[in-house]
Amino acid sequence: MKPQSAFEREPARRVFASELRETRYQFKDGEDEKSPTYVILPSGIRSNRIFIVGTLTEKQRQGDQNIFYRGRVVDPTGTFFIMAGSYQPEAMQQLARIEPPAFVAVVGKPNLYTTQDGNCLVSVRVESISVVDRDTRDLWVLDTARETLDRLDAFGTTEDSRKAQEEYGTQPDVYRKIVYDALTQVQL
Amino acid sequence: MNLSEVTERISRKLEAKGAQPDRQKIESRLRRLAEEFGVNIDEAERTVTADLAREYNLTGVGNVGNASTELRPISEIVPGDWVTIEGKIVALTPALSPSIAQSGIVADSSGAIRFVTWTRANAPAMEYGHWYRIESAVVDEYKGTPNLKIHSGTTISRMEKDAPLLPSVTPVAELKPGVGSVRAKVIQDWEVSHERMLQTGLLGDETGTIKFVIWKEDGAGPSGGTGPAAPKEPLGKDKLELDAVYNIFYATVDEYNGRLSLALNTAMYITDEGDIEVGRNESEIQGALVHVAPGSGLIKRCPVEGCNRTLSRQNYCPVHEIQPNFRYDLRLKAVLDDGIRAHNVLMQREIVEKLAGITLDEAVAIAETNPLGMDEIFYRIRNAVLGRYYTCAGSEFGGRLLVNSCTPITFKPEELAALLNRAGGEAA
Repeated sequence: MKPQSAFEREPARRVFASELRETRYQFKDGEDEKSPTYVILPSGIRSNRIFIVGTLTEKQRQGDQNIFYRGRVVDPTGTFFIMAGSYQPEAMQQLARIEPPAFVAVVGKPNLYTTQDGNCLVSVRVESISVVDRDTRDLWVLDTARETLDRLDAFGTTEDSRKAQEEYGTQPDVYRKIVYDALTQVQL
Repeated sequence: MNLSEVTERISRKLEAKGAQPDRQKIESRLRRLAEEFGVNIDEAERTVTADLAREYNLTGVGNVGNASTELRPISEIVPGDWVTIEGKIVALTPALSPSIAQSGIVADSSGAIRFVTWTRANAPAMEYGHWYRIESAVVDEYKGTPNLKIHSGTTISRMEKDAPLLPSVTPVAELKPGVGSVRAKVIQDWEVSHERMLQTGLLGDETGTIKFVIWKEDGAGPSGGTGPAAPKEPLGKDKLELDAVYNIFYATVDEYNGRLSLALNTAMYITDEGDIEVGRNESEIQGALVHVAPGSGLIKRCPVEGCNRTLSRQNYCPVHEIQPNFRYDLRLKAVLDDGIRAHNVLMQREIVEKLAGITLDEAVAIAETNPLGMDEIFYRIRNAVLGRYYTCAGSEFGGRLLVNSCTPITFKPEELAALLNRAGGEAA
């Protein structure tokens, strides 16, 4: 039995950069203006919040009237594009204080954009960002590997993963390889 | 079961709605379905009732789910069933609406269920403490709780039976919305939060804890002895004593926002000699700390005895107003996220001091000299914990984990090895 009124915060999914980069499908759960927007990750789960840990390699301030910051966060598989604007002043100021390179933990919302030349880009709108250490980065790689493998094991048995199959034609073995390669970069 | 019995029941149901059905016709239809087409009796009864109801243009006659005159134990009935039960009235509660004639709890040796008799049913009033056979009542769900509805098609007959009932006791952790009997200890007695409340607090047994409430009843005076031989019209309940163990029979289990609580107004309770080691339903969560909520860090608390509420920045307590002689405290309200679920956690001073590497005294000293004041402590604690992995153990209460211990998760090479095997094993 589900309590109707109790608000449940969306969990932050763990996802590697190379998987997030392939994400193309976005949908709204419900008709309401305030209904949450999700992306379907290729490994077969909906997500409207993600948790990533990696190295902030670059940070740029942009805009005159509406200031915002862009950044690149690198994990063993690729790069996340993050941004924080004046709608998230706390997150923006946190990002403004951090000097790259640094290990950072980011909680944020995945967003899809289409560029002028028709390419689809995924960026992460930062809700919070903080400086962490290498241990936390390594723990995150293990955590993300575990959760990705869990999703791949359940692939084809859930509604979201069937949707992922339809949208991306996901080949679970390709993602197992990505997980494996990511793990090999963690130093013992 | 023979067809004339079924025929009789169908006719009565239709007659109750003002129709004059032809019994022979009913029986021949039943016979045709049952004998020619091999339909089982229950289904034949349902079909014929529904057909005739349509012919006579009646509504609310049809049987949904199983129609059955077969006697069922109360513990086995589920919403959607049409049932016949034999049970004892173990509680009567005031009707909340003029369309309800009677409500309460009926029990047999297997269990108990709440019931409601509609005024329109014109059913005879049932008396507390007596046994009744209730035929063709329907079970539905009201606010997540199974409820037996006695309507105009239900037949009630009083039974000349007085079997003693010993309700089976349910562990607190396994209670479900509806009716429950527990053996539990009063571990906390809280200040009542509403003028209609007589008492509220926390009950616990080996398996867990649950909030309880006793409401004041209309016309409640100084109550006489309650206990097992409850009076016919139970007036006013007794309070429970702190630290005493009680057998509580037929309390109402309610659910609100996913939390259960026990209302004891329908219950009888007797003290029990023994003692109980109350289980704290400790749970453990591992995850990343993804959010530090406002209200974390250095806070001020109301100094009034027993209040302890958090004061606003202007030292205002919602109950005791301005309190310049507040006490400082440290706490952390955060979200620990395991990737599948986001859990709210609440940490008290000792744990926050260890986690953030700052003592309360240091925090106060910083706050009083730093231009950012208490915000500075919020930022320091946030920067120390946000985005890091922890294992938190504690007791879950009100959708929040009250943390008793919190340790940072450390990197374990064997986990890496296991994951490498898992990822590589199948892909290669």
